[in-house]
Amino acid sequence: MAASTYSPSQGAERRQRQQQMRRLSIQSDWDRSDGRSFIQCRPAFLRTGAANAASGSAYAEFGTTKVIVSVFGPRESKKAMMYSDIGRLNCNVTFTTFATSLRGQGSDNKEYSAMLHKALEGAVILETFPKTTVDVFALVLESGGSDLPVIISCASLALADAGIMMYDLVSSVSVSCIGKNILIDPTNEEEVCQDGSLVLACMPARNEVTQLTLTGEWSLPKINEAMELCMDACLKLAGIMRSCLKESANLSN
Amino acid sequence: MVGLSEGEKQFLRGGIEQDLRSDGRTRHQFRSVYVETGVIPQANGSARVRLGATEVIASIKAELGKPSLLHPDKGKVSIFVDCSPTAAAIYGGKGGEELSMELSVALERCLLGGKSGAGAAIDLSSLVLVEGKVCWDLYIDALVVSSDGNLLDSLAAAIKAALSNTGLPKVNVVLGASPEEQPEVDVSDEEFLQFDTSTVPAIITLTKVGKHYIVDATSEEESQMNSAVSVSVNRNGQICGLTKRGGAGLDPSVILDMVSVAKHVSQQFTSDLDSEIAAAEASDE
Repeated sequence: MAASTYSPSQGAERRQRQQQMRRLSIQSDWDRSDGRSFIQCRPAFLRTGAANAASGSAYAEFGTTKVIVSVFGPRESKKAMMYSDIGRLNCNVTFTTFATSLRGQGSDNKEYSAMLHKALEGAVILETFPKTTVDVFALVLESGGSDLPVIISCASLALADAGIMMYDLVSSVSVSCIGKNILIDPTNEEEVCQDGSLVLACMPARNEVTQLTLTGEWSLPKINEAMELCMDACLKLAGIMRSCLKESANLSN
Repeated sequence: MVGLSEGEKQFLRGGIEQDLRSDGRTRHQFRSVYVETGVIPQANGSARVRLGATEVIASIKAELGKPSLLHPDKGKVSIFVDCSPTAAAIYGGKGGEELSMELSVALERCLLGGKSGAGAAIDLSSLVLVEGKVCWDLYIDALVVSSDGNLLDSLAAAIKAALSNTGLPKVNVVLGASPEEQPEVDVSDEEFLQFDTSTVPAIITLTKVGKHYIVDATSEEESQMNSAVSVSVNRNGQICGLTKRGGAGLDPSVILDMVSVAKHVSQQFTSDLDSEIAAAEASDE
């Protein structure tokens, strides 16, 4: 009997926490569970060269979200592929079985793979490696919220580490909309009870958005506000990514 | 994909620049939309939508199921899009799979709203019959019959038409004495409940060719695009979802401008679509 009551009670507990969260969201001011302000991102930790066998790799840790990305290639495209005078980018995102609180399947995440591809393809200069393919493999070790933005930022860092030519680094930040408030870089807990979300990936130096998705109900001024917030955060994140690359270049010298 | 000569490309781009497209439309004008409802008798609701030469069919099947443990107060809706290789040769094999998934995800994002259910086209809590025990599982299946661009907008229109055609049978649930006992379910085959589709948003895809953006692009025009933004707008003019497609980057101010254009265009399209659906429903009965 104990086993059968375990899941529902956990669900009820979670629901209670969510309801509490929703109650809070109606008020204009409350503290986030990790003590951040609404427009404060989690501390970012970035390192290049996480995997030895890859042409380039990077590890990113934003709060409890931990991601490792390896880049292989450019290698010869498979024979079955049609001839192409520009290069191909092949993206793949997987979650480990222990990445989420409920044990997952650990399978490929096709949706995230496609979104990662979209976010990067506008930044990579595909003309520099004709007839060949670059593989980008991302593995989410721990999912702690805002997974996709972390994957995108980490992948562009790994591409830079592999020496793949890009117009600019791609950095990505997401915001959640809860009640009237906009929260930047949401955690899992906040994502579960969000009313809407906006994920933005951009090349800050060129002021170009490479990927943008939005869910939930938004008004135009609110989209404007959220986008400005994301662009600014992306600019700062790109600065951190750049200094990480400089650091690793200095070390190898 | 679409074989166009240099001259044709020039003609297409030049036309868009001068606000007169190859088929005589202006940049922000849709092709005429044709709706037929009740095309699949086995489904609870169905519709066929034609937008120029693009033709899609949407069917809605409702099955009784159990709500998930995480959301005992919500029903389930899943959207599948199938791009049949009969519509275009490139849909065979992996190409079709990728496109199908991209379209399904984009539709889910635009129609199912945020995690808390805000901005959703279908109110999931209205699908629950007994909390934690019985709910409706809605399966929305869409098929691309023939493709001439602007698939996402046509699919969203077809789903809206199919939803307004959907009748869910009235269900009587008799709960067992103890909570473990399976509830008895009695499905009526005479009384049906209609869906409220006024909250279902329309998706407007703006395709950027050169400096200008056009709505309802044909596949020829799509082949010339730099990037596209799909915006879903509901009747109140609120934005319920947004997806960027195409690789090239966009300036943030351009995106905001595209969203406001989409918002403007959606009003006309929504009212056109609504009257078409109403006419189709009337002729169906």
